[in-house]
Amino acid sequence: MGSGHWSTNVYSAAANYRAATGKSAFAYSDSGARKAHAALDPMNVGKRESRDSDEHPQSTPIAVLFDVTGSMGSVPRVLQTKLPQLLGLLTRKGYATDPHIMFGAIGDATCDKVPLQIGQFESDNRMDEDLARIVLEGGGGGQRRESYELAMYFMARHVSLDSMEKRGRRGYLFIIGDEMPYTQVKPKEVKTFVGDRLNEPITVEAMIAELRRSFEIYYIMPTAAGWGGDAEILGYWRQLLGQHVIALDDLDAVCETIALTVGLAEESIDLDAGLADLAEFGSAAGDTVGKALAPIGAGRGAVVRSPLDLGGAATPGGNERL
Amino acid sequence: MNHVAVVDLGYGDAGKGTVVDALCASEPVTAVIRFNGGAQAAHNVVTPEGRHHTFAQFGSGTFQGVPTHLSRFVVVDPLALAAEAAALGNPFHLLTVDGDALLATPWHRAANQARERQRGSGRHGSCGMGVGETMAYALSHADAPRVSDVLSPARLRARLAEVESCYGRLPSAPLDDVVEVFAAFGRLVSVVDSSYLDGLLQRGRCVFEGAQGVLLDEWRGWHPYTTWSTTTFDNVAALCASFERLGVVRTYTTRHGAGPFVTEAPLDLPEAHNGVGEWQGSFRVGHFDAVAHRYAVEVAGGVDALAVTHLDSPARCPQLRICTSYDLDGARWDRIVPGPFQDLGHQAGLTALLNRARPGDLERPGDWAARIGDLLDAPVVLESHGPRHTDKRFLAGVR
Repeated sequence: MGSGHWSTNVYSAAANYRAATGKSAFAYSDSGARKAHAALDPMNVGKRESRDSDEHPQSTPIAVLFDVTGSMGSVPRVLQTKLPQLLGLLTRKGYATDPHIMFGAIGDATCDKVPLQIGQFESDNRMDEDLARIVLEGGGGGQRRESYELAMYFMARHVSLDSMEKRGRRGYLFIIGDEMPYTQVKPKEVKTFVGDRLNEPITVEAMIAELRRSFEIYYIMPTAAGWGGDAEILGYWRQLLGQHVIALDDLDAVCETIALTVGLAEESIDLDAGLADLAEFGSAAGDTVGKALAPIGAGRGAVVRSPLDLGGAATPGGNERL
Repeated sequence: MNHVAVVDLGYGDAGKGTVVDALCASEPVTAVIRFNGGAQAAHNVVTPEGRHHTFAQFGSGTFQGVPTHLSRFVVVDPLALAAEAAALGNPFHLLTVDGDALLATPWHRAANQARERQRGSGRHGSCGMGVGETMAYALSHADAPRVSDVLSPARLRARLAEVESCYGRLPSAPLDDVVEVFAAFGRLVSVVDSSYLDGLLQRGRCVFEGAQGVLLDEWRGWHPYTTWSTTTFDNVAALCASFERLGVVRTYTTRHGAGPFVTEAPLDLPEAHNGVGEWQGSFRVGHFDAVAHRYAVEVAGGVDALAVTHLDSPARCPQLRICTSYDLDGARWDRIVPGPFQDLGHQAGLTALLNRARPGDLERPGDWAARIGDLLDAPVVLESHGPRHTDKRFLAGVR
């Protein structure tokens, strides 16, 4: 009977009590902050790490980055309130072993002050703190493109995963947004926001190929967002990511959608079982999630997740580290 | 005032949380009062809109906006409380805590986990939250940390330092950091004295929410597979002069971790909210054990009414039965006679017998709720067919 469900970490408790002392859940952003919080600033960070531990020997890294530009409207705030439930959903049904979750935010590097914010991989509710620190700049350029490719660059080159390095298991990257990436990773933006020196631009296709060595990449487009459901944008992403593009009717179902996608890819469940789980939890999201994931889950049981060859051979198609 | 105490007659997990939520949804409730256990409670409540929360220290009426009072019998864990509160949106305005309640510290938790680890395969099924360790420490230390200490920094530090030195080398956070976070807890939570509870009880109907179950009771359960907690109505009686005793059972019997489980069977009854816990071991299921539940009713001093949960399960599980007697070495055994109170030797002997017992008479009733009511000799006033309060049916003559 009972459970150790709630974190008993001294430091997260202290942070929670501080947070509860009459402050908004988005206190950092609402206080007028216009630069990335130190904990989320991608500048010169080395690597964000997902490491196995005694407590979590088989870590499964899951990164969720969402677009915080103006076209997304209130979507980021809804995401900030929904995403803390993600860990519970993943662990309760055992969809993924030892999930480590990272949150981050994506803006437009051509015009925003804070176009990239990336937290740490956490296995307890410290990740909620990262969510609370995200600056919701609400900028963006209106050209139907945001700097998703810059975020991909960071995730490909500044993340280190034990799941990958020790066991050849890729992590999961969910990008939630409503626009297209720019066609190239630009050296100047990388220098300005990440600190690395690039000799030449990297095409978005090459960036994705490189990123796929360490992550399964999914793009979720909430249809409530500005360009939500736009056929050109969805089509562009489908060209880049194939069936890993998810159109989501109801933002309230975002955690369930991510959890089931991971469960499907980990072969912990098939879509029917996942939807039955949602019904059992009393989640009203079943219809939305079923519709959103039908292209991924229908008729094929589970998505096969191929372990990568760790033999050291060059991965074809990828852009070599500069 | 018509107060009601909700107690699980089995090994926990029968659905106290969902019953408390339904009671709070059906009529005005002044407060939900916790009277045993601590942060290891895990009461799952699902709202009609689909929001799920595993209540541990906040009462299961929180979604209905009902305040929670943690009485002096609760072991309060400020660290787990912070995390739970955050998940609920920090509704600290709904919480009051009796200053006499014991505080669970990181050292108690570390000691609890170390002890369970030493037991190896003979684990008791503890939750690893240090609740039992906190109780044990308080028995031998008059200056055990209590909730009111968080209001007095010097006393808090001295008492936590004493715990730290008692457990010595066990890993934990530095004393200074623990003092700081416990003090932060004190600044945010309303700490009250015992007269506050009397005021609540006079103001209106209160629901006492039990943790765990009678078959895990420290004195009446199958020793040593029990909890350091009084899970019967005894604590409620110490807090409140008059109340209705509502026993909760589910249509099949479940238990976490080790210990006798006579009717355990490989039934296909998947569980939404109970998985395998690192400290608790696996979640076990079996036929409804009427023999053990009748014993629970007897040692709890009787119940006035029953809530039967999971009434949707028998239809999904054709093999499910009710066990009305045990077979013990060829003899039929249909009543477990309670031994002398607080005689752990007797309870241990009982455990040995139960480990040899096998299900005897098994039956499959047409009306599960009515049959369970007959067997436990109490009227069923609440039927539950699902996790939401809207899945509950109150029967005539509830109150």
